[in-house]
Order: sequence, then C-alpha cells, then structure tokens
Amino acid sequence: MNFDFAFAATTLPTILGVIGTTISVALLSCAGASILGFSFEIARRAGSLPAYLMRFTIDFIRSTPVLAWLYFLYFVLPHWGFTLPALVVGILGLSIYFSGYLAEVFKAGIDAIPKGQAEAAKALGLNRIDVVSFVLAPQMLRNVAAPVGNHFVSILKATPYLAAIAVPEMLGSALDIASNTYRYAEPLTVVGIVFLVLALTIAQGVRLLERKLHGPTNR
Amino acid sequence: MNSDGQPMRQTAPWPVEISQHHSAHPPDRTVAVEAAALNKWFGSFHALKDINLAVPQGSRIVICGPSGSGKSTLIRCANGLETFQGGTIRIGGAELTGDEKQLQKIRRTVGMVFQQFNLFPHLTVMANCTLALRRVLGKSRSEAVGIAVHYLERVRIPEQAHKYPAQLSGGQQQRVAIARALCMNPRIMLFDEPTSSLDPEMVKEVLDVMIDLAADGMTMLCVTHEMGFAREAADQVVFMDQGRIVETASPATFFAAPSQERTRLFLNKMLR
Amino acid sequence: MTTVEIFVGIFEGFRVTATVTALGLLYAVPFALVFGVAQYLTKGMARLAITAVIEFWRSSAVIILLFVFYYVLPVIDIQLPAITVAAMVLGLNAGGYGSQAVRAGLQSLDRGQFEAAAALGLPRRHILALIELPQALTRMAPTFINQLIQLIKGTALVSLVTLTDMTFRAKEIAESEYNPVGVYTSLLLAYFVICYPVTVFGRWVEQRIGGRKGLTNEF
Repeated sequence: MNFDFAFAATTLPTILGVIGTTISVALLSCAGASILGFSFEIARRAGSLPAYLMRFTIDFIRSTPVLAWLYFLYFVLPHWGFTLPALVVGILGLSIYFSGYLAEVFKAGIDAIPKGQAEAAKALGLNRIDVVSFVLAPQMLRNVAAPVGNHFVSILKATPYLAAIAVPEMLGSALDIASNTYRYAEPLTVVGIVFLVLALTIAQGVRLLERKLHGPTNR
Repeated sequence: MNSDGQPMRQTAPWPVEISQHHSAHPPDRTVAVEAAALNKWFGSFHALKDINLAVPQGSRIVICGPSGSGKSTLIRCANGLETFQGGTIRIGGAELTGDEKQLQKIRRTVGMVFQQFNLFPHLTVMANCTLALRRVLGKSRSEAVGIAVHYLERVRIPEQAHKYPAQLSGGQQQRVAIARALCMNPRIMLFDEPTSSLDPEMVKEVLDVMIDLAADGMTMLCVTHEMGFAREAADQVVFMDQGRIVETASPATFFAAPSQERTRLFLNKMLR
Repeated sequence: MTTVEIFVGIFEGFRVTATVTALGLLYAVPFALVFGVAQYLTKGMARLAITAVIEFWRSSAVIILLFVFYYVLPVIDIQLPAITVAAMVLGLNAGGYGSQAVRAGLQSLDRGQFEAAAALGLPRRHILALIELPQALTRMAPTFINQLIQLIKGTALVSLVTLTDMTFRAKEIAESEYNPVGVYTSLLLAYFVICYPVTVFGRWVEQRIGGRKGLTNEF
C-alpha cells in the first residue's frame, strides 16, 4: 500500500466542508470556558470558603481528561433526562474542561493590575461599579486577550475529541472517508495538515495581537 | 464657571472662586482634615499611635520621617484608603464613618497624588483627567474637556493630552496625575511621596508645579523627603517616627533648631 | 456491580495508563531539553529547522497525530506496537511544550549571568551546564509539572487505538451493564486520584517560585 497523493487531494473538499463546524464549536466553547472560568475566579475572591470550593473545582477539572468529560456528559446527561444534541454536549464538555485553565488566565489578568489603579480610581470618588467598569475591567481584558487567544488555539486542537461522541467535525469526516474507502493514511494526513495550518495561523494572529496590545502606547 | 464653561481659576482669587465652582460646599469649614487620637494596626503591628493632626484650610503641611514611620499610612487614612481602629478623622468637618457612599462623596473633595502616579494606562491623558469629571460630577464631554485642558495647561503639558501614560516621562506622568486630581477642584490635595519614584532630573518639574499650587493657596498635605520643598512651601513640618508624631514646627524652627534628638538625627541623614 | 467494583475495574487499566505515561516521559524530557537548548543556542537556518520540528509536535492536535501515526506508519512499512506509537506521539507533543519552557527559562535569565561566567573564562558548554540550566530549571519546573499532568490525561486517547487503559476499561464496563453515572463518575475520579497530587504539588512549586502578590479585590 502506498500513500496516494491524488486520493488525498480528493478528500480535502469533504474535510474542509465541515471546517465551519470545527471553528464554531471552538469559538462557542472558548466563550463558554471564559464565562465559566471568569465566574470561578470571581467566586474564588468572595471569601475563604468560596475560595476553597472554587480552588478544588478548578483543580478537579484540571486533573481529569477532556475525553472522560465528554463521555460523562454524553452518557450521563440523557440518563438524567437531558437529551441534548451531540454538538451541544461537545461544546459543554470543552467549556467545562477549559474553564479550569481560563480561570487561571483571569486570575493572572486581574492580579496583574497594580493595586494603585483601584486606589487612584477610588481617590477620585468613583463608585465601585465605575471603578470596575472603567478602570479595572478594561485593563483585565487587555491582560487576558492574548492568553485567551492561546487557549482558543488549544480548544480548536481539542475539537477532534468530539469525534469520539459522533459530532460531525473534521476528524469525524476524515474517519468516515477512511471507513468507506479503507484508506486511512490519506484523509488523516490531510486533516492533520489542515489543523496544523489553522493552529499556526491563529497562533501567529494572537502573537500580533499581543504585540499590538503591549506595544509602545500601552505600558 | 463663567459663561464659556471654563473654570475661572486664573482670574478670581482662591478661595472665592472655589465657592463659585463648588457652591455645594458650606463656606464655614476651616479645618480641611483633622485626625484625633488616631490609631491603626496592621495585624499586631501598631502603625499609627495616637495621632493628632489638624490641617487648616489654606495651609501647607509636610510630613517627613524615616520609612516605616507611618507617614504614608496616615495620609492614606485621610481619604479612607486605609481603615483605622481608633480615633476619628474629620474631612471638612464631616467625620469619616466608613460608609461607602459617604466616602465617595468626601473623596470628590480630596485630591490625591501617589508615589507610583497610578495613571490609568488604558486611557489617554485627556481621558484620565475627564473620567471622574464625567462619571462622578456628571459633566458633559465638552465641559470636562475644557476643565481638563485648563489644568493640563496649569501643569504645563497641554500638548500631551492625546498621548497614553506610557508615552510620557515619569515627571510628565506625575504632572498629569496632579492635573487629574485638580480637575475635581478638591478642597485639599494629598501628596504621597510624589517625587520618590522619579529620576532625579524630573523631580524639579513636579516640585515646581507643587510650589505653584502652594503659592495659589491650595491646602496641601504632603508626605515627602524633599526638604527644599518643605522649606520653601510649607507652613508646618511634621516629623514622624515609629507611628508617632515626634515634632511639629515651622520650617524655620524645624530645620534650624529641632527640639527632638530623633529629628536632629533624621535631618542629619537627610541633609548630608 | 457496585460503584467500588466499577472503580476497581477501571483501575485494571492503570497499568497501560502508567506505562504510556512513563514511556511518554522518555520521549518528552530529552526532546524538551535538547530542542529547547538548541533553539536557544542556534541562529538563522538551523534555528528555523529546529523551530519547525518543535512547532510540528507542539502545534498539531495530539489526537490527530496519534491517528496519523497509528495509520500512516504501516503504510510506509514501519510496524510499531500501538503503545510505542502512543507514547511517542504523546511524549513528543508534551516535549514540544516543554522545549518552549526550556528556551523561555534560558532567555529569561539576566544577561549578566552569562557575561560574568564568560568573563571567568568558562567555555560555552560549561556556562550552559553549570550556570544557565540550573537557574533556568526552577523557572521551567511549573511548566514541566503541568505537562506531566497533560501527558497523564492525554493517555486517555490510547483507548481510541484499542489499548486497554482506564478509559477503555470504563467503556468496556459500560457495555456490559447500564450504569452510566457509576461508570463515568468513577472514570473522572480515577484520573483525579492520579493527577490531583501532581496538581497540588505543581501549585506548591509555583508558589515557592513565584511568591505572592497583593490581590485586587474590587471584582
């Protein structure tokens, strides 16, 4: 058996046909993980008991594989009466799994704001809400933008796990071609290259964003 | 405010103009800040011990002392950035209760300049100056910009208004910080070691602005090691050590004939 | 089966999980050190080539790498046991991340350290081995521990190429009896039991290295 480049080329359109699914899943999961992670981090700051609970939750999530989470949600949720489409289960699973990491991103993003910023804002007479929304939140968002971007790349690279719960994304479609044609090498190589190009491109974009955010005009 | 929306600082003598600008202030407050029997602990560390200090409206008081003497803690208590465990602080006659709403109200009348400038790095110089004018005092954009331009001119950097803090030198940043505080038209300005993190060649430009302010009659409470400033601008110099006020004197007496041994030792080190 | 029996049943897969992790480390650590140092020391074309190798292993989706190597190697007549392929792919992926910690750790050292050592007449390799690497090692430690956790969790993937690890055992048990809650909770717990001590250790190391800063509590 040989590697058939012509056949590999014919698989490309089919695989790229679902690139939209892959990217949307990654975007939605990144949003979900950010919201969850940010909530964890805010809750963690609310007192010593919440801090302990949230710390444990985050550590639990970070100590368990994404595949185990996907299986758990995929098989347990219906048992509990929540029958969701596989796509939704997949997004939920990635959101939970990556929230453990996003929580750390938000922690670092908040901790990197000097204490004097809130003090200066308060000294001007701003109320709590204005201190957060005009002084702290914009700085936090700037601090987390690049790390969130990097985690988006990680999430994107984790989307093929969703093939394990039958979500029709790029790896899934490659495996479909493989089982129909009994040729595994070509579609898998193609999907590998597509993911590599996608990941490298977005990572480069994040690097540019980082340079822009921390360039001469800002800090 | 006069008809074109500009504050009338330069033409009207202070504090007459203050009452026009901020008619909400009752005019009878003669003591800007007053601490009585003030005590503060950080855990088991007794940071401030029975501090009694009055800053009359219109006076300039310089606090000096070795590091760890509690001088920064004291000035931070004066606008509620630090809590305290014993005694009272009155600002313009009103006692600090720790109530958030009251604090916000009081802080509008108390300007503060920090050692680390604490400009907001994500906002331009102009936006730094107008943020509180708009959000706290509810001024319109054009009104706020007018006030900000006025005070940026006063600290002699109107041309930097569109820049971000990181594009400015330390001295320029600190002058912006002073302008930002002045925009709120405070009844008193607190300075917490305003020149301590500046390169030596930039200290003068900040001190010049502060001396100007003093000459205009601004009430000032300054923690600083700049003895030249104390000599030139202060009515009173307060020396603190180990959480206590050791000595309070006029600059002339303080530098020529301090009454306490600890003051003499400190001055020896500072002025060598 | 009781939940305890399920849990024990899942742990029958521990041997494979542990073996893949251990073999993976044999790939990850040397790769990280050699390629991280090489990227630090080289310039121009050599550095570009080294960076390309690192980026291939680091930026590819590990699940796809596994499938590609599992199915493509036989096509070019390289027959390797699944466990070797899995350990290599997971190990080199972790090693790719590790190499960046090595390089960043070396780059973050004060230039004065190198200059002082060079001024003493130490040859380059001694400067690296005696001055730079020992100092950089403490800075790399958190990333290395993090990558160890990623490696352990990543081994769940081998269940997809028919190796009987903990995740594979969970799926086997799930097929023989309907108890999704018991099975998949046990699966999460099984990984948690293994990874949590490493997570806690990693946090401890990070705190010892990083120290603590004052938090902004306005959020």
